[in-house]
Amino acid sequence: NSSSITFNQTLPFKMAAARRLKRVAVSQPGFLGLKSNVKPSELVSSRRKRVNKNKKKNWNRHSDIHDVEDFLEDIRHQERTTGGLLSEKPDDSLFFLDVGQTDKAGNEGKASLVSPVTAYQQPNAKKLRRIAQKAEQLAAKGVLPRRQRRLLSRRPAEKTVKKAEANNNPDRDFYAMWGEEKVTDSADPWYLQQTGKKLVQRPEKLNQKPSVLPAVEVIAPGGSYNPDFLSHQALLQEAHDVEVQKQKQEDKLQRQLAFRKEDRATEVQTIISAVAACLYEDEDEAAAPNEDEADSALGAIAVAAKKTERQRKKEKAEKMKTQQQQASRRQTERQQQLFQLRSIKSSIKQQELQTKARRMKRKARQEAQKALPRRLGKLKYAQDLEVQLSDELAASLRQLKPEGSVLKDRFKSLQKRNLIEPRERAKFKRRLKVKYVEKRAFRQIT
Amino acid sequence: MGGTQKKKFERGSATNYITRNRARKKLQLSLPDFRRLCILKGIYPHEPKHKKKVNKGSTAPRTFYLLKDIRFLLHEPIVAKFREYKIFVRKLRKAYGKTEWSAVERLKENKPTYKLDHIIKERYPSFIDALRDIDDALCMCFLFSTFARTGKCHVQTIQLCRRLTVEWMNYVIASRSLRKVFVSIKGMYYQAEVMGQLITWLVPYQFSHDHPTDVDYRVMATFTELYTTLLGFVNFRLYHSLNLVYPPKLDIKAESELKGENEDEYAMDSESYPEKLAALSASLARVVSTAEEEDAQLDAFPTEEEDLEKVEAREKEQMQLETQKKIFEGLKFFLNREVPRESLAFVIRCFGGEVSWDRSVCIGSTYDATDETITHQIVDRPNVDKSYINRYYIQPQWVYDCVNAKVLLPVEDYFLGVTLPPHLSPFVEEKDGDYVPPEKLKIMALQRGEKPEENDEDDDEEDEEQNEDDEDEAEEKNLKEMEKQKSQGKSLQVKVTPGKMKMENPVRLEQEEKAEEKRLAIMMMKKKEKYLYDKIMFGKKRKIREANKLAAKRKAFDDTEKAKKKKTKN
Repeated sequence: NSSSITFNQTLPFKMAAARRLKRVAVSQPGFLGLKSNVKPSELVSSRRKRVNKNKKKNWNRHSDIHDVEDFLEDIRHQERTTGGLLSEKPDDSLFFLDVGQTDKAGNEGKASLVSPVTAYQQPNAKKLRRIAQKAEQLAAKGVLPRRQRRLLSRRPAEKTVKKAEANNNPDRDFYAMWGEEKVTDSADPWYLQQTGKKLVQRPEKLNQKPSVLPAVEVIAPGGSYNPDFLSHQALLQEAHDVEVQKQKQEDKLQRQLAFRKEDRATEVQTIISAVAACLYEDEDEAAAPNEDEADSALGAIAVAAKKTERQRKKEKAEKMKTQQQQASRRQTERQQQLFQLRSIKSSIKQQELQTKARRMKRKARQEAQKALPRRLGKLKYAQDLEVQLSDELAASLRQLKPEGSVLKDRFKSLQKRNLIEPRERAKFKRRLKVKYVEKRAFRQIT
Repeated sequence: MGGTQKKKFERGSATNYITRNRARKKLQLSLPDFRRLCILKGIYPHEPKHKKKVNKGSTAPRTFYLLKDIRFLLHEPIVAKFREYKIFVRKLRKAYGKTEWSAVERLKENKPTYKLDHIIKERYPSFIDALRDIDDALCMCFLFSTFARTGKCHVQTIQLCRRLTVEWMNYVIASRSLRKVFVSIKGMYYQAEVMGQLITWLVPYQFSHDHPTDVDYRVMATFTELYTTLLGFVNFRLYHSLNLVYPPKLDIKAESELKGENEDEYAMDSESYPEKLAALSASLARVVSTAEEEDAQLDAFPTEEEDLEKVEAREKEQMQLETQKKIFEGLKFFLNREVPRESLAFVIRCFGGEVSWDRSVCIGSTYDATDETITHQIVDRPNVDKSYINRYYIQPQWVYDCVNAKVLLPVEDYFLGVTLPPHLSPFVEEKDGDYVPPEKLKIMALQRGEKPEENDEDDDEEDEEQNEDDEDEAEEKNLKEMEKQKSQGKSLQVKVTPGKMKMENPVRLEQEEKAEEKRLAIMMMKKKEKYLYDKIMFGKKRKIREANKLAAKRKAFDDTEKAKKKKTKN
């Protein structure tokens, strides 16, 4: 039962409304369904939504009191029309004995003398009759009275509802967008600006293409349906290289995760290591305290004594001396550089050449980078190579089986040219875990 | 610490970029709407040079847009339409839920739509810009026109794409702009030259293909929406440049030819006209009807800057181009039922030929298979039941190869049952020294006008080889005899015969002179220059060596093939 309720709730809104309508239609008398052997009354599912009638709220809403209401209504009706219940009335007031017709000649007297002729008299009957005849004659000829003419001449209200045309309407119109004659803007630019109808100018940078690659890259000559031998081999070689790379990556991963033989300790090794550990334990304990004593003896750090005047003066003099030496050295160097001009020049030239070479390399690398697909999102761009193996090549155009799909190729080309980011289909992630519970019946079995 | 200290990520590239979610929130659109807007306006994500700076220290891969672009998007009037559409959907759903059918009808009648004309005008301010981007548009439109009309994507879009592609093909036929065709395993590549622009597009095969699941259809549909609008406007302009009526109408003469009995069998009345257009077998009506098409002669502008040679070369090129546009003129083709009708009809008519097909295939066939004046019949079966004498029965690859070679190739290589020569790609430009497959060499020879040598048959080759061997042997014999005689001391029986005048070939002389000059120049070069020259020649020779290696490989393969054939024969 609960399953039926949940099913109804998960139905899209259209279907739920349609079902309700169907119930209404089916419950009408005289409904003929498509299946002749099924009675319409059975189609109406007598399943109603279950209500809890024990709650006070529902006594008012869902209790069926139609019969009581009808009875009371009937009583009220009787009292209204006949003044009291019919069951309490005496017989004489309800029935009478039919004896037959008696002479009513006496009753007619004065009333019959009043002839109703005057009631039917019209003062201008003749005139009206003539008018009616004339109208008939004109109508026979086809001339209509003024009123009808005015009615007919009234123009119907024109429904000028301009339906907005969708963009992908197959019969849509195109017009001259890049006019051959310079069509000046019909509206004043000041007017457009003031009324807020002026379109914002498109920034220049957006007109640059995001990639230098052409829109349609033709497949290599080996991709022909009847290829030349060597070009086909070249294409196969490319595909082969790609596969080899993939295989190498996998192998590398396997190697890195592999369990080395040296790491695995055999039984013999474990026994030896255990025994050795026991044997050398005592020796270690004896050696350790000796080392500690030796360290403390060696660790005597000399405490620095204060510097005397003499030592300070000496240091100063030394410092001055070294400074002077350095100054003189620099001087001589500068003088000598005059004679080293040639070698200096050559070294500068070499440096310049190096920087030039590096600049060219960097520029070339940048240009090559432009042709590559940029990394625009979480996923990296993956290229498929379409190639047919030698035994898949078709003998004739009729037997050709196309490889790859143009839809996928276009999608990948859009990604390669940096127009969209590489995307994959969204996976179905469950927010809440599904709990696996066996049915009671199965629990008994398993 | 004062307040005037510079904080990180507050200026420079970090403030120029914005992440996708931030941009979406700024525009107050849902993600699919945001994507659609970016595609329509031509706003693409950028990869910043220093990702760490822009991403505020982290290297997580995020999609970045330029902030200026997003600010530009805020002014787009279509954004309001997107929001209106969202509200429309909400109201519609409510009306359905309350089963208020009158409200549903009313809402559906007033469904909000938008037009992309102003976007096209903004993105492509001039016609040439639009032509440069038309490759993509053509590929998408051709792709969508092959979709099945199941309702997964709007059927109206598919119909519109079909109409636009048919219009484009009719234009290319009328302007004779097709230059190259390549039949590949993916689909058919065409290249046409329109107004100086080379336009390449890919047409998928008409066979049924299962659609891949990892392609985002909404994205493709949005691109198609934009591209259909663009292609429509471009078509309009192109038709007007050729003085044709747009939307295209069939020529009155041609239409009367096409009127056959039982037209109801093909399509409903409302659809029969576009179907006839799609058949590509009739010419289009012009705005100002011309009685005859005259070949307009190019005016000779005397330009002083250019030499006479250049002008002559250009004229020669022009003449060549004109002849190449008419290779199928005067030929009558008939397509059998198993060949791709649309593609072949398109290619044949582009080069001036007449084409027809079986009545049961498609509407618009002008003549039957029994017509006596048919010159070529395109068949793809191993054999035909009934064959007429005065027509060639060839495989479809002949048409494509002729178009690529720009000359009529010999029909013998393409007869039924013959192993076809390989279909070479016309999009490959071979430089000097590169390997050129022997088939291409043959074609180039044909283009130059030389007759092809007939060495197809194995027997002929063998005979030739044997003849050559015999000759060589005879010569060797003679020489040996003479040597023997000399060694023996006998005087040779050499007589003095009147001398034969050696006909000196002036061309050869010229070439020899040139070679001499070159050698002298090389000898006179300085050491440095010679060093450079050697390096260049080494590079060139390397290429030639590689080409020779490939040629040897090819020869080896051909020999093995021949040996196999021989074995099967014997």
